[in-house]
Amino acid sequence: MKRLMLRLLVPALTLVVWEIAASGSARAPRPSTVMQTAVRMIANGDLLFGLATSLGRVFAGFALASAVAVPLGIAMGSIGALEKNLDPLVETFRPIAAIAILPLVILWLGTGSMSAVTIVAYAAFFPVLINTIAGVKRVEPNLLRAAYSMGVPPMTRMRVVLLPAALPAILVGMRIGLGLAWTAIIAAELAVGAKAGSSGGIGQMMFVFYAYSVELNGIVVCMVAVGIVALILDRVLRELLARAVPWSRA
Amino acid sequence: MASSFPTTAAPRRRLGGLLVYLRTMGLFVAAWFIVALNVPNKLLLPSPVDVALALRDSAMDGELFDNAAVSVVRLFVSVVAAAVVAVPLGLAMGRSRLCNDLFEVPVELLRPIAGIAWIPLALFIFGIGHRLPLFIMFYTAFFPLLIGTAAGARTVDERLVAAARTMGVPEHTIMRRVIVPAALPSILVSARLAVAASWTAVVAAELVGAPSGLGYAIEYYRSMLSTPSVMAFIAIIGLCGFLTDRALRRLGAVLTPWAQTEQAR
Repeated sequence: MKRLMLRLLVPALTLVVWEIAASGSARAPRPSTVMQTAVRMIANGDLLFGLATSLGRVFAGFALASAVAVPLGIAMGSIGALEKNLDPLVETFRPIAAIAILPLVILWLGTGSMSAVTIVAYAAFFPVLINTIAGVKRVEPNLLRAAYSMGVPPMTRMRVVLLPAALPAILVGMRIGLGLAWTAIIAAELAVGAKAGSSGGIGQMMFVFYAYSVELNGIVVCMVAVGIVALILDRVLRELLARAVPWSRA
Repeated sequence: MASSFPTTAAPRRRLGGLLVYLRTMGLFVAAWFIVALNVPNKLLLPSPVDVALALRDSAMDGELFDNAAVSVVRLFVSVVAAAVVAVPLGLAMGRSRLCNDLFEVPVELLRPIAGIAWIPLALFIFGIGHRLPLFIMFYTAFFPLLIGTAAGARTVDERLVAAARTMGVPEHTIMRRVIVPAALPSILVSARLAVAASWTAVVAAELVGAPSGLGYAIEYYRSMLSTPSVMAFIAIIGLCGFLTDRALRRLGAVLTPWAQTEQAR
């Protein structure tokens, strides 16, 4: 009990100091006004709609990235020559932040959902690919040799031996990729909202609060919502990891 | 980490790796060139030659270097500032239950909120200028460093600490001579994560709200519809990210030669 109070001491103190410090200004967000705004935004559905729009884009882009990165990673991890020759491309493009290609993507695809999905796919692609390659390469070679010597056909070998052994690493890559994708969508929507057009989503909502309605409480509500969603995504994938591959302690 | 311990075969292997790199990237550029020839609108896909010319032009008039220097200095300042706060706090959280109890909940509450999500609020507080990207990068670098340091300090071999205590070593010397060196590999790995994350954040922050830097430059050239320059600056962003990561790996190899096994990428 005492320990619990100790753990909540700093957050509680921060909220109290924030409430008092901000009470002088009419516009500055305070915990109490943020709560009121949050209740209003949840009640009229704005917040949930914005989050759903952003999440839809994240899942679309993430699915796209995984659909390419997992097979490619398995191929690169199991065929040495392929990895050697494709690795320069991966190492060249991996350090380029997804946000950096945003201006280019806007040029090609406009300011709509397609751009956002592309940015998300780019952000999620490399963590999934690299972890898949690493996972496949770390599969115990004796398992593959044993299956080979017993005459198991290649496709079955991949499905029954390779995939289960590499799955923990692949799922870790997906967890990292999904986290990056969620960050990237916020940045993409913010930047797109900053430039032109109406694309929707939680990031653009924040930009509208910033640039047009000057609603600081709304911005804070969005920030907290972004954090909660990030936490839930991470927890869900951790849980998935534990359920899908109980033999791994990743 | 093949480069850490040079053997007799290493130089030849490195040369072979370079050849493979050049061959793959040569094929990539050739493919890009052919595709660009068949795209009628030069604005959409300029050829590699145009991009190289744009790169040369901005390098010649110094604009490239100026913007890159601004962004890299911002990265350096904010990551060092974050480390100055996060590393001592992380050590304290890793070694003392009281500190951990006090700060764990606020850290776990703040950490999921991406630095990029702070941009609108920070625009209000700091306005457009240097302080916005510095704040965003500080925030982004802070949590990986804190978590990594705390984890490193927590997993120090307790027998080492006990041995030092038995021999009457004072607590602050234990911290300096036992705990910090033991946690250093973990701190350096988290520093690499922190730098990579804040390099992403600086581009986003400059794109939205800074009058200088690489992120600003690509956004400026996009509005000018100068696609070759946009691509040139994107390449520079990638190059700077790559070089800072290399530098940190090298730092890790120099500072913690005992921990240079396979590192998480």
